[in-house]
Amino acid sequence: MDNHSLVDYAKSLDCVHCGLCLNSCPTYRITGRESSSPRGRIHLMRSVAEGAIEPDDDFAEEMDFCLLCRNCESVCPSGVRYGAMMEHTRGALEERRQRPWTARLARSIGFGILRDRMALRVTARLARLAEGTGLARLVGAPALPRHAERVLLPTHMPAEGGELARVAMLEGCVMPELLGHVQRATAQVLQRAGCTVQISPMHVCCGSLHAHNGEVKAACELARATIEAYERLTDERGNPLPLIINSAGCGSHIKEFEHLFADDETMAVRARALSGRSFDLSQFLAREPFRSRLMQRLNPKASHQGPYAWDDPCHLCHGQGVRREPRELLQAAVGDGLVPLADPESCCGSAGIYSLLRPRDSQAVLQPRIEALRASGARTLVTSNPGCQMQWEAGIRTAQLDVSVSHLAEVLERASR
Amino acid sequence: MGVDSTLVEALRRELGSDGVLDRRSQRVPYECDGLAFARQVPELVLLPRDTQQTAAAMRLLHEARVAIVPRGAGTGLSGGATPVEGGVTIGTGRMRSVLHIDALNRWARVQAGVVNADLGHACESHGLFYAPDPSSQKACTVGGNVGENSGGPHCFRYGNTSQHVLGLVIVTPQGEILDLSEPQVDPQGLDLVGLFTGSEGMLGIATEITVRLLPVPEVVETWVALFRSLDAACDATSDLIAARAEPSAIEILDKLTIEAVEQSVLRAGYPQDAEAVMLLELEGSEASVQANAAVIEPLLAVRGAFGLRRARASADRARLWAGRKGAYGAMGRIAPDLYVCDAVVPRRHLRALVRRTTEICSGKGLRIANVFHAGDGNLHPNISYDRRNPEELRRVLEAGDEMMRACIEAGGSLSGEHGIGLEKLSAMPWMFSSEDLAVMCRVREAWDPECRMNPGKLLPIRACMETRMRAPGAT
Repeated sequence: MDNHSLVDYAKSLDCVHCGLCLNSCPTYRITGRESSSPRGRIHLMRSVAEGAIEPDDDFAEEMDFCLLCRNCESVCPSGVRYGAMMEHTRGALEERRQRPWTARLARSIGFGILRDRMALRVTARLARLAEGTGLARLVGAPALPRHAERVLLPTHMPAEGGELARVAMLEGCVMPELLGHVQRATAQVLQRAGCTVQISPMHVCCGSLHAHNGEVKAACELARATIEAYERLTDERGNPLPLIINSAGCGSHIKEFEHLFADDETMAVRARALSGRSFDLSQFLAREPFRSRLMQRLNPKASHQGPYAWDDPCHLCHGQGVRREPRELLQAAVGDGLVPLADPESCCGSAGIYSLLRPRDSQAVLQPRIEALRASGARTLVTSNPGCQMQWEAGIRTAQLDVSVSHLAEVLERASR
Repeated sequence: MGVDSTLVEALRRELGSDGVLDRRSQRVPYECDGLAFARQVPELVLLPRDTQQTAAAMRLLHEARVAIVPRGAGTGLSGGATPVEGGVTIGTGRMRSVLHIDALNRWARVQAGVVNADLGHACESHGLFYAPDPSSQKACTVGGNVGENSGGPHCFRYGNTSQHVLGLVIVTPQGEILDLSEPQVDPQGLDLVGLFTGSEGMLGIATEITVRLLPVPEVVETWVALFRSLDAACDATSDLIAARAEPSAIEILDKLTIEAVEQSVLRAGYPQDAEAVMLLELEGSEASVQANAAVIEPLLAVRGAFGLRRARASADRARLWAGRKGAYGAMGRIAPDLYVCDAVVPRRHLRALVRRTTEICSGKGLRIANVFHAGDGNLHPNISYDRRNPEELRRVLEAGDEMMRACIEAGGSLSGEHGIGLEKLSAMPWMFSSEDLAVMCRVREAWDPECRMNPGKLLPIRACMETRMRAPGAT
């Protein structure tokens, strides 16, 4: 394979080397190294494509070091599509990478489990058992809730107070196992906002973790399965339902499915259609008539423990450009209890499975965010992505702060009881 | 001598392994700064954490007789941080601490790698600000600003970086530490800080900088006015200055720039039917802003300004400014590369010179966008090109030279704020006599007799060789 194919060369030409991305990049900020900045990585990609350097281990390491938080895209005046470029290069590198068989096995098991509901359930059960032995702590696995917390949602949940609309909700792969309470809160909030919520019994994983980590083939298969699953959830006239997503990473990925089908126009059209009816939970709830219905039920006094701070998940603000809606909803739910958090759009270091693959780097990225949280005086940190939620929880535990972490859906659920 | 494994080992002992980059894929991204067509991969990149580490590294490089190129964020547009063959690049990427803010006496001391905008944020809570605001301020460093004597829109009122540097800690080419960090309003003896500011990395490396801070004005108001022609916008600028109705910034963007900006994430809501957009900023007490506004508005109207918008809330103002500050990057939508010229003309010639630059470029079949600090007479013709096309690059450089000559003939100068670097090296003799250049070379050699600091930039080699020949005892 020639080295040119490792790089999405046409996209790399969009970068004029102005450097405005540098200070937005978490890995540049912790290392001060140009090669670990977005401009530097694009420069490396272009150098590989032009034959100036070899795509050696050092090159691969810089590509792996990136969190794919896409903060750089939010500040790039040239509109460089960095995320798509990085996914391309990671995919091409993965194809030619000689991993030891143990690593290959671990990857195929790990990425395989995500696609299969039964495997996820069994793994969760085993992990829960292992927790008793202390083994899980040793390998740094996230804490698992007890079995009763890990029930799947019913496939049909009726609207409260008269149906305004029917919607599909993404149940997802790891969310039901790790954050079942968030899933239930999401469904309840949608019901209270006048939505009848449907779950696809056949769908498991959207493949965002696969795409971010170079597993392009699996990502394409999962995208296709996702598109098919949600085409089947229709209203009485046969129109597919809007898809509500409460995980920023999945939302960002699903909205960009089209890129995976560059060579398949039919699938690309279907992908566009799904993107067009996919919404982050906050985006959907900020629309009328759902907003008004929900607002009537919100009682700011009823919520968790203030003050609150909002942390923008990268794949919500940078990936989907959603910033205003979650703040407005949170404000409505907690009244004047919202305090500013410094640098709310910078990455917490979770970045999908990055925190598991590169724990040290992930910790270094998290550290300044923990300090910002400490300085904010917040008692509850609110976010809306499972990875971020668990990353913050772990960081807060280590730093021994008296702060709890909630998903936006949980705050809204409590305030709308 | 030169860079060998013994030197690398010795540097590692001083800077730690993270502070010495010798792998090729870590060095290649340092091969250019914002002047992307000039490239040279450095032999090594060093990232010291403080003054002591910088001095230790510079001592070793002095002993090994290795050339040194200092680098901030690499956002410069004149090739000031382009590496030299066989040389080492010293970056300030790990020197990012704001060391002290003295709010009462209105100064701050920062490490050289502190990002200009981060310094701004750090003094915000004290009701103070740092005035120089280069368009790259979200990324560029205070150290780099000192090296290039950077400007920015508000330098129309406040002056370039040199007006705001009160003290420096300098590491000399020999690795000695020269502590001039006490804030000095009136320097005692020779003004070495003044000499160093704008010396483009030829006298040493500034590792700590003491800067002047100013109180945030009571009212700041940003205006956007539209014009049906670029000429009219230029004339309005001259009128404002003639009437002494001086806002703190006067910026002009032409149609091509407006289009690029409006397609970008920095969309500022500039209407695309205008031929030129003028951005103004008025600041001061409520009464003075009102009084100034009463003078400015009719002056703009005379030149046919329309669609005037005024913003006071900081979010609204930031949006209007974002388009201007990201204009350079936004031009990436037009072609892969961009060449940003930087020349200054007397303001009464603004209109004629802006026309002339457009003619020069269209005569060579090049696309030019004009976005400039009109108040300063500081032109920034932006030429879009593709560096993979050598013939086109040649035309770009020719156009740059012609524009520069036109500006000098009109009584202007070579650089408003980007520095000379590599880019305008060959133009220096157009502006300065060989005697002038020889004096500059002698100043440089007083600091760096071996000319190891950023060689081949700012001062044409020939001029330097001439001084050396004339120097007593020279071989």
